[in-house]
Amino acid sequence: MELFLSLLVVGLATGAIYALIALGYTMVYGIIELINFAHSDIFMIGTFVTITLEGLFGITSDSPPKSITSDLILRLVLIGIGAFLVCALLGVIIERIAYKPLRNAPRLAPLISAIGVSLILQDVGKLWKGSTDVSFPNLPTPSIRVGAINIDSVNIFVIVIAVLLMVGLQFLITRTRIGRAMRAVAQDRDAAALMGVDVDRIITFTFFIGAGLAGAAGCIYGLKFPNTVFNIGFQLGLIAFTAAVLGGIGNIVGAMVGGLVVGLITSLISLLPDTVLPHGGNAWNNAIIFAILILILVFRPSGLLGQQAPEKV
Amino acid sequence: MSINSRWLRVESDTRKLLMKWLVALLVPVAIFTFLWSGEAIENNVFLGIVAPATSLYTSSAVFYAAIFIVIFYATVIALAGYLVAADSDRRNPIEVWIDLLFYVVLPMLYIIVTSNLLIGLSLSAITWGIYFFARKRVRDLLHYNPPALLEEVQVLDEQQKANMMNRARAGGFWFATAFAVISLIVDVIFFLSGSLPSVLLIWVIVRTILLPVAGYFLGQLGGSVALKRVITQNENGNGNGEKSEQRGFGWRRNVAQVSKKQQLEHLSKSRAREEAKDFVPNDLPLQSKGASRFYLTLLGLVVLFYPVIDPILFGSGTKGRITSYGDLGYYVILALGLNIVVGFAGLLDLGYVAFFVIGTYAWALVGSTQFTVLTGIVTNPQFVSWLFWPMIIIAALIAAAWGVLLGAPTLRLRGDYLAIVTLGFGEIIPAFFLNLDKYTGGINGISGIYRPATPCIQPFFCVDWNGFDPTPYYYLILVLIFLCIFANVRLRDSRLGRAWVAIREDEIAASSSGINLVNTKLFAFAAGAFFSGVAGIYHAAKLGTIAPTDFNSNDSFIFLAMVVIGGLGSIPGVIVGAVVVYAINLLILAQLDTFAADPTNFLHVFPQYIPNFTFSNIRNLLFGIILISIMIFRPEGLIPSARRRRELHRAPDAELIEVGALDEPPGSAAFEAEVPVE
Repeated sequence: MELFLSLLVVGLATGAIYALIALGYTMVYGIIELINFAHSDIFMIGTFVTITLEGLFGITSDSPPKSITSDLILRLVLIGIGAFLVCALLGVIIERIAYKPLRNAPRLAPLISAIGVSLILQDVGKLWKGSTDVSFPNLPTPSIRVGAINIDSVNIFVIVIAVLLMVGLQFLITRTRIGRAMRAVAQDRDAAALMGVDVDRIITFTFFIGAGLAGAAGCIYGLKFPNTVFNIGFQLGLIAFTAAVLGGIGNIVGAMVGGLVVGLITSLISLLPDTVLPHGGNAWNNAIIFAILILILVFRPSGLLGQQAPEKV
Repeated sequence: MSINSRWLRVESDTRKLLMKWLVALLVPVAIFTFLWSGEAIENNVFLGIVAPATSLYTSSAVFYAAIFIVIFYATVIALAGYLVAADSDRRNPIEVWIDLLFYVVLPMLYIIVTSNLLIGLSLSAITWGIYFFARKRVRDLLHYNPPALLEEVQVLDEQQKANMMNRARAGGFWFATAFAVISLIVDVIFFLSGSLPSVLLIWVIVRTILLPVAGYFLGQLGGSVALKRVITQNENGNGNGEKSEQRGFGWRRNVAQVSKKQQLEHLSKSRAREEAKDFVPNDLPLQSKGASRFYLTLLGLVVLFYPVIDPILFGSGTKGRITSYGDLGYYVILALGLNIVVGFAGLLDLGYVAFFVIGTYAWALVGSTQFTVLTGIVTNPQFVSWLFWPMIIIAALIAAAWGVLLGAPTLRLRGDYLAIVTLGFGEIIPAFFLNLDKYTGGINGISGIYRPATPCIQPFFCVDWNGFDPTPYYYLILVLIFLCIFANVRLRDSRLGRAWVAIREDEIAASSSGINLVNTKLFAFAAGAFFSGVAGIYHAAKLGTIAPTDFNSNDSFIFLAMVVIGGLGSIPGVIVGAVVVYAINLLILAQLDTFAADPTNFLHVFPQYIPNFTFSNIRNLLFGIILISIMIFRPEGLIPSARRRRELHRAPDAELIEVGALDEPPGSAAFEAEVPVE
C-alpha cells in the first residue's frame, strides 16, 4: 500500500511532465491539424538547455548545492524561464522555416517536413552533448513525511510548477484576447481571418507557447530525473502523444488529464512482476503505452474529453 | 541497295540532325569505351577467344561478356538511328548536349573518378537536383522559354515514313562509322605506342569493317521502333476497317478500328498533350517512350551482366561490391513497398522497419535450430533450406497480416494518427523480439540461419548459396526486385491503384465516388508490408544471423527519405532514391569520416572544432535537411511520376481553357472548339 501510494505521487509528478509535453502536441494539432513530430525533440533540446543554463548559474554535477535556499529556487526559476524562452524561440524558427512554406501544401508535406526537423534536432543534440546519457546535477531532495509515506519534496515541487503552468495556459486560452483568437483560428481559420485575426501571428504564437512549455517541461524533467540523452524525445514524444490522444487531441484540458493518467499508468506498470511479463513491467513500458494508444483509437478515438467532431472539409 | 541510295546522300536538314545526335551520343560512348573500360571488355573478350591465356576472363565469362558487349553497342547504334529519325528538329542542339552532359557524361565521370558505382550515382543524383534548379534559374534570367512542345500530332504519309526510315539508316550508319573510325585511330595510337597486343589487330580490322554494315541494319531497327510510334495516313482514314480485319485477331480488331488519333481525341487536353509528346516526330526524342525502350535494354544489360563486367570496370574487390549491391537490393524493395503506402495511398508509415523485422524473424524462426527450440520438432536443414522459396510468400503474408492488424484500428481515423501509431509500432516490434528471449534468442538474436537451396545437377548447374560467393544472392535479389517492380507497376495501373491515388488526393471526394476508404487503405498498408516482408526474408537468409539490435526505429525514417528523395509515387524515382540514400548512408559518410580523420585533409576542421563530430553522426541531420528542402522546393522528388509532374507544374494556360469550356455545354460545336485535342 505504501509502495502504491508513493508510486502514485511519482506517477502524478511524471504525469505532470507528460502533460506539459502533450499540451504542445495538442495545441499545434488543434490549430493547424499537424502532428508536430519535432515537438518531443524540442523537449530534448529543453533538457540540454537546462543543463547548460544550470552550469552557467553555478549548479554543476561537480559542485551540487547542499541545501535548498531561496537563492537556489530563484536560480531554478530563472533557468526554467530561460529554457522556456530558448525553446519557444526555437519553435517559432522551426515553424517559420519548415512549416510555414507548406501551409497550403498537400497534407503529407508538413508531416514529412516535421520528421525532417525531428531528425535534425536529434543530431544537433547529439553534436551538442554526445550520444551517451548526460546527467543533470544532483539537487538536494529532502523528503516530506505525509501520513505513512515519505514523499520526495521534488515531486511536490514538480506537480506545483506544472499545475501553475497549466492553470496559466488555461487562463491565457480562455480569458485573454489572444486566447480567443487562438480558439477562433482552431475552429475555422478562414472565418477567423475574415474577422480580423492575423492567422499567421496566431499560429506563430501557438508554436511559441507550445515549444516553450516543452522547454519548461525539459527543465522540470531535470529536477525529477537523473539524466537525459539525445533521443529521449522519441520515447517521451510517444508517451505524450498517447496522453494527448487519451485526453482528446486538440483539447487542452484533455491533454492535462491524459498526461496525468498516462503518468500514473507508467509508474504503476513497474509493479508488474517478472512472472507476468518477462523482464518485468518496465521493459514493456513502451509496448503497454502503445497498446493503450491503440485501444483508445479503437474504442474512443475522440479521447476521454474530446467530442466526436466531424472532420473539417 | 546501291551505295548512292538516299540514306547515304543525306539532305541538309538531316545533316543537321546527324550532327546533333552524333555528337550527343559519341561523347558518352567514347568516354565509356576509351576513358573507362568498354574497350578493355571488348579486347578481353576477343583475347578470351583467340588467346585465352592472356585474357582476364575465364572461358564461361568470355561468353557472357561477349553477349553483353555485342548487345550493348548494338543498342547504342540502334538508339542513334531512332533519335535521328524521331527528332522534329525544333530543339537547339546545344540544349540537348548540355542535358546529356548532365544526365550521362557527368555520372560516368563521377563513377570513373570515385571508382565506385553507388557513390558516383548518388553524386550525380545530387548534381541533377542542383542542375534542375540552376537550369530553371538560368532560363528565368535569360527570359528563355523552351519552344512549346509540338501539340499537333503529325499524320505521316508513305513518303514521309520512307524519309524517316532513311534518316534512321543514315543515323545508324554514320554513327557506327564515326565510332569505328575513332576506335581505329585510338587503337592505332595504342599499337604504335606498343601497348596493344598485335593479335588484337585482327579484331581492330574486323571491327572497322563490321561496324558500318551493322550500323546500317541497326539504324533500320531504330527506324522501325520510331515508325511504331507514328500516326499514319491510312490508319487515320476511314478505310482502315478492312485492313485490321485481315489481321484477324479478334480483340485487336476493335482496338485497331479506333485509330490512335481518334483515341487521342477522346482524352482530356492535358492527357492528350502528354501522349502526343511520345509520337514521332517529337521535340524531346531523348525523353520519349521509344527511346526509353533502348535505355531499359541498356540498363537491363548492365544489371544482368554486372558480375561479369565489374572486374574490368572497377578492378579487384568484385565480391565486396556485389555483396553491397545485394544489400542495396533489399533497400530498393523496401523503397518500392513503402512507395505504395506513402507514395500511392498517401499514408505516412513511420514504422516500416517493423514489417521488415517480422519478415526476417519469420525465416529466422523457421529456418534455424530455433525452430526446434520453439516446437521441439527436430528438422533437417537440407530439407528446410528448400522451404525458403515458399517461405518468401509466407513471410510476406505474415508481414501483410501484421499490417492489417495494425492498420485496421487506425485507418478508420485521420491519416495523422497512422503516422504516430506506426512510429510506435516500429519501436515496439524490435523491443518485442528483444524481450521475448525465450523464443527469439533475445539480445543475441538468432544465428546459423539456413541458406536457400536450389537443384544441383553437377557439371551444368549448381549454385553455391553458402554466402562466400555473393553472386547467387545478387541474382536472387535481382529477380525479387524485378517481381516487385512488376507487381508495383501492375498495382499502380490497376483499379485499386487508381483508388489509392484518389484517396491520396482527396479522401472525401474519393469516398463520394464509391471508394471504400478503410478497405482500400488497408490494402495499401498490407501491400507495403508484404514487400517489406520479402525484403526481410532475403536479408535473414543472406546474412545468416540476425539480432534485434540490427534494427533501429530510425531506419524507418531512412526508408521514408528514399521514397521522398526519389519522388513520391514514382517507381523509377524511389529506386534512384534507394540508391542515393544507401550510398549516403553507408558509403559517402564513412568515406568522409576517413577523410576527416586525416589531419592534412581540409575536412579535418570539422572534428577539430566541433566536439562529438563525425560525419556518420550527422547522418540524420543531413537527411532531415534533405527532407525539408525537398518538401519545400521540389515536392515531386528527383524523378517525379507523370501524374505528379502534371499536378505540380500545370501549364498556366491549361486551367484557363478548362474554365472557359464550362460556358459551353459539352458536346456542342463551341465546346469542341474550346477544348481542342490537337
